[in-house]
Amino acid sequence: RTKRERKGRKLCGLQEVEVSVTQLGLGYESEETVVFRYCSGRCSKRRRTYDLALESIQSAGVLKEPTRHVPCCRPLHYEEDFSFLGNNNKYYTIQELSAQDCGCV
Amino acid sequence: MMFMHIFSVLFFLDEVVCSLASVSAVSGAGTHGWRTPVDCVRASDMCNQNSQCSSRYRIMRQCLAGKDSNTMLANKECQAALEVLQESPLYDCRCKRGMKKELQCLQNYWSIHMGLTEGVEFYETSPYEPVTVRLSDVVRLASIISGMDSATVRANHCSDSGKLCNPCLDAAKACNLNDTCKKLRSTYIATCNRGSNLLMPTEPCNRKRCHKALRQFFDRVQTDYSYRLLFCSCRDKACAERRRQTIVPSCAYEEKVKPNCLELRNTCRLDPFCRSRLADFHMNCQMTPHSITSCPNDNYQACLTSYAGLIGSDITPNYVDASYTNFTISPWCSCRGSGNFEEECEKFLRDFRENTCLRNAIQAFGYGTDTSLVSKPVTVPPTPSVRPDLETESIPKPSVNTNDIKPGVDACVFATCASLKENGPKCNLSKNYICEMDPNAETSIVPWEGRSSSSCASGRAVIVCLSYVLFKLAL
Repeated sequence: RTKRERKGRKLCGLQEVEVSVTQLGLGYESEETVVFRYCSGRCSKRRRTYDLALESIQSAGVLKEPTRHVPCCRPLHYEEDFSFLGNNNKYYTIQELSAQDCGCV
Repeated sequence: MMFMHIFSVLFFLDEVVCSLASVSAVSGAGTHGWRTPVDCVRASDMCNQNSQCSSRYRIMRQCLAGKDSNTMLANKECQAALEVLQESPLYDCRCKRGMKKELQCLQNYWSIHMGLTEGVEFYETSPYEPVTVRLSDVVRLASIISGMDSATVRANHCSDSGKLCNPCLDAAKACNLNDTCKKLRSTYIATCNRGSNLLMPTEPCNRKRCHKALRQFFDRVQTDYSYRLLFCSCRDKACAERRRQTIVPSCAYEEKVKPNCLELRNTCRLDPFCRSRLADFHMNCQMTPHSITSCPNDNYQACLTSYAGLIGSDITPNYVDASYTNFTISPWCSCRGSGNFEEECEKFLRDFRENTCLRNAIQAFGYGTDTSLVSKPVTVPPTPSVRPDLETESIPKPSVNTNDIKPGVDACVFATCASLKENGPKCNLSKNYICEMDPNAETSIVPWEGRSSSSCASGRAVIVCLSYVLFKLAL
C-alpha cells in the first residue's frame, strides 16, 4: 500500500506535452507541433463505497473475472477539433484529440 | 555606412512630408483640418438626433437606393442633401476593423461617399481608420536580434539540426501553442476543407462559410501569429507550398472559372464589406514613387493589415504558386475578355502582381528586415497632416529587393526562443501516472521524460529571451 501511495505524487489533473503530429501515431505524417493535453495523477483518495466493497468481494475470491476498484484519472471533456496541414499538403482534422479537464471516474 | 543612411534619410525627408500632405488631401480632411474621426455608427446616430440632418440623410439614402443611382444623384434635391451632409459628422466618419456593427458602419460610410464620387473611380477612399497599432514587440525584437547576431541564430537552428529550416512550419507551431490561434485556425481549416475529403471528392466546399471563418481568424487572432503564417519567408518548395496553402486555396481562392478582374471588382463593389477592404488595400498598398519603401507613409504595417483584410472577401488574394525564389500574388481573376477596358484591367491586376510596396512589406516581415523605420510613422498619432518627428539616426536603408536578401540568415529568428526553451531548465513535474490497481492496465504508454514541463520552462525562456534582448539593446 505504501508503494502505491508514494508521497509527492500529484492528484489527478491536466498535463501537457508538445509533440509532433507524426508522433501521435495516428497515421498522419506532419511536422506540425501540437500541445497534447492528457490526464494523469492519483485517484486513490477518491474511492467510493463501491470500490471498497468490490475490493473485499474480489479478495474473498467470490469473483472470477478481474475488476478495478480504484477510480481512474480520465478526461471529462475533450478540446475542440484540431486541424493541421500534412506533409502531403493536405489538411486534416482530428476530433477529441486532447483533454480539456480531468476527473477520477 | 551609417553616414550614408543619414544622408539618404535627409534626402528623402521632405519627400516623405510631401507624400504625407498628399495623403491627407486624398482622405478629404485637408480643407477643414483633421477632426478625430467618429465612427460612422455614432455619426449616424448624431445625425438622426438633428432634424435637418436626419431628413437630408433619409433623402440621400433614397437617392442611392435605386439601381440608377448616378442619374438620381444628379437630381437637385439629392445634390442639396449632399451639400448639407458634407457639414455633418457623417462626412469624415471612419470605421474600425473588426469593430462591433462593422457592416452597419461601412454601410453608413458608403451612403455618403458613394454620392461624393462621380461615376466609378479606380481608387476609392478607405472607410477604415489609419493603422496605428504596431506589430507586437516580438517581431521587432526578433529583427533586432537577427540584425545583431545572425551567426548565432544560424548555428542554433538552421544548419545544426540537419533538417531544412522551415519558417512557415515554425509559424504553424507558434499558432498551435496559442489556444486562440489554434482554435480559430482549426475552425477555418475544418470549414474550408469540409467536402473536399476522400469520401466525397465531388462535393464542393461551402465557400461563403469558409471565407467567413477566414475573416474571423484574421480579425481575432493576434497579428504576430496570423502574419507569420501568411508572410513567412521560404528557401525551399515545401515551405513555399505550405505558405500558399495557408488560406486553404482549394476552397477560399480557386474556382472552376477565372473571372475577368473588372467583373470581379464590380461584384466586390456591390458588397460594402468587400468594397471597403478593397479601398483600404488600394490606399495602404498603393505604390508611392516618392517614398523610400514605395509604400504610402512608409507604413508597411498598414499595407500588410489591408492585404490580410482582403482575405475572405470576393477579392481574396494569394500566392499564385509555390515558387520560393520569387513570389507572385494575385486575386483569382485574369484580364481575358476585357475588351476596351484591357488597360484598366491590367492596371488593377498590377496592383497585386507587380506591387513593390506589397512585395517590400511582405519581405520585410518575413526576412526580419529592421523595421525601425517602419514603426516610425506608426508611432505618430493618427494625424497624417502632422509632420512626424523622424529620428534621423535610427533609420536604415529599408528598401528590399529580392536580390538583396541573404536567404536563411535571419529567416528562422523566431526559433531562437524555442531552442532556448528546449535547452532551458526543466521542472520535474510528474511522471506518467498509470491507473492504480488495474489488472488490465496496459503498459504500452511511453512516457515523455521531462517534456511535460514545457509550461514551466517557457516562462523561464521568455525571461531569458527578454534579458538577452535588453542586454543587446544596451550595447
